[in-house]
Amino acid sequence: MKVYDGSTTGGSTEMPTEQKKVGIAEFEVTTSGAVLTTSGLGSCIGVALYDGTAEVAGLVHVMLPTAENTDGNRAKFADTGIEVLVEAMEDRGADRRRITAKVAGGSDMLDFSENGSSIGSRNLDSVRETLATFSIPIEGEDVGGDHGRSLKLEAATGDLVVKSASQDSTKL
Amino acid sequence: MRVDIQSLGTFNQLAHEGATQATESLSQLTGIDAVVDITKITLMSRADVGEELGDDEFVGVQFDFDGALQGQTVLVFESGSVGTLIEALVPGGADGEMARSGVAEIGNIMMSGFIDGWADYLEATIDHSPPQYIERTGADVLPEPPANEEDEQIFVFKSSIEWVGESVSFYIYMLPEYDPLAGLMSELGDPGQDAIPVDKLEVFNDMTTQGTEKAAQNVEMMTGIETTAEVTQISFAAIEDVPKQIGTETYVGTVVEFTGTPSGYLMVLFDEVSARNVADALMPTDAEGTELTEAHKSAIEELGNIMTSGFVDGWANVLQTSVEHTPPELVHDMGRAIVDPLAAQVGQHQEHAFIIESTMKTDEIEFQSEIHALPNEAELRAALEALDVDRADETEADAEQLFK
Repeated sequence: MKVYDGSTTGGSTEMPTEQKKVGIAEFEVTTSGAVLTTSGLGSCIGVALYDGTAEVAGLVHVMLPTAENTDGNRAKFADTGIEVLVEAMEDRGADRRRITAKVAGGSDMLDFSENGSSIGSRNLDSVRETLATFSIPIEGEDVGGDHGRSLKLEAATGDLVVKSASQDSTKL
Repeated sequence: MRVDIQSLGTFNQLAHEGATQATESLSQLTGIDAVVDITKITLMSRADVGEELGDDEFVGVQFDFDGALQGQTVLVFESGSVGTLIEALVPGGADGEMARSGVAEIGNIMMSGFIDGWADYLEATIDHSPPQYIERTGADVLPEPPANEEDEQIFVFKSSIEWVGESVSFYIYMLPEYDPLAGLMSELGDPGQDAIPVDKLEVFNDMTTQGTEKAAQNVEMMTGIETTAEVTQISFAAIEDVPKQIGTETYVGTVVEFTGTPSGYLMVLFDEVSARNVADALMPTDAEGTELTEAHKSAIEELGNIMTSGFVDGWANVLQTSVEHTPPELVHDMGRAIVDPLAAQVGQHQEHAFIIESTMKTDEIEFQSEIHALPNEAELRAALEALDVDRADETEADAEQLFK
């Protein structure tokens, strides 16, 4: 069975102010300074990666901490999702030694698990571990809590704007 | 008739790929950037198909198909987006007959890709008729149900496609005739362990409808507002598509975890306006302002609790299992952010999920509520397996009792 992995690559004729949506378990890379957006993060996490020198930015919206097998959609999991985003950015001219990360999401708004930690915090652990293995520093975080978030990555500057339903937006 | 989870997954994937291909043809033809937002298979009453289209004006391009699969498929555009499409095709514009044939041609190219994808996978031939252009309101844009089949339950494949940067979307509906489809699904699949008896799924859908009716009655009793149960459906989608079932706007409601066979999560959600309206009706004095107060929220919590109980008790009675639920947890947040932790929880053990959805509304005030349940798939399967269809028929007479 073929697997639609939800990933797309941008064309070469992008306009500078273009907006691209990143769905759940999807990623997007831009070299044109587009704005990458993703919405409705609960326990999910948005990982924004940026290489300012190569002007390559990418955003992945991951849902679960770790992939159990390697087939299937890599962008669904924190570990393989970061990996696939780094690879895609390097294909477009980025260098992992220059890439920096900003991370948002991973809330614990609904947690019925009586023992063990929530999906949100396990996602967060996996994101941090994976970034550490790539030696990618985390430059900004807005994580945890009990509210949802929507993100806007301004690829021209690497700024990550985080919005929630009840609070004003913050810029990482 | 038994259908296994794998083939439901495969068919969902086929529909998704077909829709993606159709969308790519559109992008190539017009330069309009569009992406497939969600694809799901839904088992629902024939008469309810297209209910979500409301009273808006639509343009449809309909095709009949025949061969390994038979039925109808429709590409549905919001009427307002047709101008943009035509402008992209023929700069300077076109109107009347030319516009219609332009849209039909776009439809033809898109849907050929969609149907060929199915034929390739099935290694069989599927022919389709020339496109038929129609302009109608709401669900009328879809083909009429055959006489006497309004109440039949059918599988519908639905993809919604989003136009990037515009607030326009369009849809692909595929309505295959039930028997050839179910036949193909059971042929392709493995009738072993993870097969679902389809007739029992239908019974389950019927019982959910009754549960919703009971929940609506509870709302009516508490608020004095006449409330009607609307559509009930059971859908099957990739786990990452589950949060997209809910809009991006802010919702208020309750979430419970239910345990037993099956276990899972149940959400009762109101948009903010509905929440305030229904909560006002529950409160002895009118609150000032338009904000949702703590009193409103506790009214919603109570309402969520009573709606949940009606629902879950109904299942338990029919399935003859014990289903219990946690106290309701109040939520007030972005719709998708409410669902994603639940989808993630369920998604740890399964790639696809069944989503049971029903809606209720009232004409008196602006009020609409959605109930969404996300059961553990393996447990739902076990519960259905154990369900005696004959007994379910017998209990139908008792259903009134059950949902009291």
